[in-house]
Amino acid sequence: MTAYVSRRGLQAVVVLLIVTLIVFGLLSLAPGSPASASLGPGSAHRPFLLAYLTWLNRAVQGNLGFSPRLNVSVASLLAASLPRTLVLTGVSTVLALVIAIPVGLLQAVRRGTAADHVLRGLTVLCYGTPAVVLGSVLVLFLAVDPPHVFGAEGPQAPGIAAVITDVRDMTLPVCTLTLVTVGIFARYMRSSALDSLSQDYVEAARARGAGEQRVIVAHVLRNSLVPVVTLLGLSLPQIVGGAVLVEGLFNIKGMGWQLWQAALRHDVPVTLGFTLIVAVAAILGSLLADIGYAFLDPRVRHAQP
Amino acid sequence: MRSGRAARQARKLSGAPSRAGRGRRLLAAGCAAAGLAVLAAACGPASGAASGPPHPTDTSTVTYALQPTTQATYIFPFVGATKPGSDFSVYNINDFQYQLYRPLYWFGHGVSPVLNPDLSIAYPPTYSGNQVTIKLKSTFKWSNGEPVDAQDVVFWMNMMTAENNLGNGYIGSSPGDLPSDVTNVRAVSQYEVTMNIVGPYSEAWFTNNQLSQITPMPIAWDVTASGPAHCATSVADCAAVYKYLDQQASSVSSYGTSKLWGVVDGPWKVQSLDSQGNLTMLFNDKYSGPVAPHHITKLIEVPFTTEGAEYNVLQDPTGSQVIDVGYLPTVDAPVPPAGADVGANPSSLPDYTLSPVYPWEIAYFPYDYSNPTSGPIFKQLYFREAFQDLVDQEGVISGPLHGYGKPGIGPVGDYPVTSYLSPALARKGDPWTLNIPAAKLLLSEHGWRQPAGGGPLTCADPGTGPKQCGPGVQAGAALNFNFIYASGQDFMESAARELASNASLAGMQINLTAEPFDDVVGAAFSATDHSWDLAEWGSWTYDPDYLPTGETLFQTNAPNNAGGYSDQTNDADITATLDARTPDAFSQAMYKWQDYLAGQLPVVYMPIRPVLTEAIKGLDIGVQNSALMITPEMWFYR
Repeated sequence: MTAYVSRRGLQAVVVLLIVTLIVFGLLSLAPGSPASASLGPGSAHRPFLLAYLTWLNRAVQGNLGFSPRLNVSVASLLAASLPRTLVLTGVSTVLALVIAIPVGLLQAVRRGTAADHVLRGLTVLCYGTPAVVLGSVLVLFLAVDPPHVFGAEGPQAPGIAAVITDVRDMTLPVCTLTLVTVGIFARYMRSSALDSLSQDYVEAARARGAGEQRVIVAHVLRNSLVPVVTLLGLSLPQIVGGAVLVEGLFNIKGMGWQLWQAALRHDVPVTLGFTLIVAVAAILGSLLADIGYAFLDPRVRHAQP
Repeated sequence: MRSGRAARQARKLSGAPSRAGRGRRLLAAGCAAAGLAVLAAACGPASGAASGPPHPTDTSTVTYALQPTTQATYIFPFVGATKPGSDFSVYNINDFQYQLYRPLYWFGHGVSPVLNPDLSIAYPPTYSGNQVTIKLKSTFKWSNGEPVDAQDVVFWMNMMTAENNLGNGYIGSSPGDLPSDVTNVRAVSQYEVTMNIVGPYSEAWFTNNQLSQITPMPIAWDVTASGPAHCATSVADCAAVYKYLDQQASSVSSYGTSKLWGVVDGPWKVQSLDSQGNLTMLFNDKYSGPVAPHHITKLIEVPFTTEGAEYNVLQDPTGSQVIDVGYLPTVDAPVPPAGADVGANPSSLPDYTLSPVYPWEIAYFPYDYSNPTSGPIFKQLYFREAFQDLVDQEGVISGPLHGYGKPGIGPVGDYPVTSYLSPALARKGDPWTLNIPAAKLLLSEHGWRQPAGGGPLTCADPGTGPKQCGPGVQAGAALNFNFIYASGQDFMESAARELASNASLAGMQINLTAEPFDDVVGAAFSATDHSWDLAEWGSWTYDPDYLPTGETLFQTNAPNNAGGYSDQTNDADITATLDARTPDAFSQAMYKWQDYLAGQLPVVYMPIRPVLTEAIKGLDIGVQNSALMITPEMWFYR
């Protein structure tokens, strides 16, 4: 297992370097090069590779540059934005999993029943409703209309502790993202569980006299989680990158919203710095998904590269 | 002139989600109900869920909602030409810098965008021959106890000269403006500055458009990293001082603790400003200008992601962040009754009072006269008349603007009404109401025909005759134009689509492209970018040159003459306004210029739009200023 993780970790580092090189290269084509924007005056005429290596060296040391548009360091903007986004998307993803896994499993086990049809309709509805519409409705009924049960905007106080403890203001954005995400996870879980239920090892377990509960939990659930783990791994960049529409709707200046605004105002240092963090999250998510497979399926960790 | 609409442009750029209408609300509610049931257990009732009466008002504090996506970014009032345009915006200058550092002359007297002597640091200037004398009030003091005096004005002027020479002149100054049009700037006594004006000038223009650019700077700022400097007395020192001050202003998080920036002559001091744009200012007890007897002592400016988010917070009086002064998105405003300037407040805002303020501006979009393909077509007056016939200003106002707007009628703002507006134009109103048949007739009368294979009209009769396409227009030239406009403006999305539709009925093809505000402005003001034919970014606010003379926007080769309009008669008329020495001569020159240029349609006139301000009941914010200058030191709770 250790060798497997080490091997995948090294691959992740290489991929990360390639991703940063590509992003830096693409932004070089934009008006105002990232070199000059990130490294300051006089750097515009540096060779591309030298500029990239200089930026990378600083990034590794935690210096992601400075936004001349906002007069703030990218690191400080990141420090203010990342906790909000992590809480928002992290909590909503966990909630979505907690709801979606049993719902998907139940649908598979009760396939074709009224419960399956109802839950399928609900999950499709969640999946198909744009987050901004869903969020607007929640705000309208639960925040704007009396008795104003929840806050109309996300937590505004600085610091992750304030964000976590402000349940009233965090509820609607988390619920919005959860509802949208739960539809996706539940659909995957249902398909995967149906597939597992038709496998020979399930029949074998039943033939051996295992109880239905044990069959479902020990055999179906564990094997059905593999695609969900994949999906979860792929969700990590979204967790870090933020859900831009939900952040915009709930006045949360998180990662997604800041990155979007930086792109609109051609704020290259912020765009580059935030993209780097999202890229790290994407690669990390992929790595964690791979490790998750290996944990869930021994065939993966014993396979040769 | 400041692109003051930038603030509102930025708000639109944020892509504010449309708020669901009542019918849609019911439909969507049904859909969401199921999802809510699923989540009920997960989300549960929130602790501290509040209901009941509006929040108890803290009568010493006002929370002021900024326009979406805007925030204070730069504290040093001398914004150099190389700084980002966002540093020279209404939200950074008027809502932030002017609260700390007062300009020499304050403009805006009620809704009228004129000099306000009461709030100015200096008495109105006096002119004698080519010499102007500025006498400062001896009552104004810096917060460190030093007087705001003549040397502080010379400090600014010296900085202007030094940075101008380095290609980084004050961003609000155009080529030929201050400091190039004056010599011999001197502090002749502690409170008196004189300078000699080069060449002929209009007193009104010089006061409103030149002296309006000056913000006195304290001697405490006349320093470099190595200690005190002498920029206030010697231009040679100023480059180093600018560099030091600019560097000191480069981190917003230090503004609240900086001793340098803590020396203010305005009514407010920065307590804190964070990277997200949350700004808290405390009242400067040493402020020596006029204040309300029971004024507020803390002003919190809060940024928003979208106007929808701001409106949601406005409607929730029990939230953890309650807005005392905010704004109502036009799309959510009930249409005012016919003939009324203000309609009812939405029923969801019972605790607020609505008051619209029309900024001192004009709204328009330029033609690219330098475009090698379409430029010759745009140079034909009959074409511009036909095109303006296709713009349904009244329809835009009554439709997407919900009744809040005034049609553009010429190169001078017609609302608020000022003495600068030609009486003839004011009487005539908007002569260019939607008239598609008239547009079609004008085009057909000048040789434009539908090609056999379909498509937009093409020039079938090139030539310079009165019934031909006009000079420079080639045979086969097509009425096919690229129209770029700043994305995120809800009303403009509708207006642009309607314009394209009207144009197609007249035989033109307009290709619409929504682009970020900065991209549109970058293209429109570029001398070499001809990827566009028509470019719309919003409007032009007269600030800090408050006199709507045309030398900045409409004179040949003027720096902000987007599209490169050129007309010799117009140029001569503009020069006459700048040279008029007496108020009467100035008015006559202004009227002559406008009466001519309005009919020339150098740009496409669009409606101006108000800011719909909402103030919480009990808070008196006075009459709002059309120059978009806020005076929170005059705000108080009744």
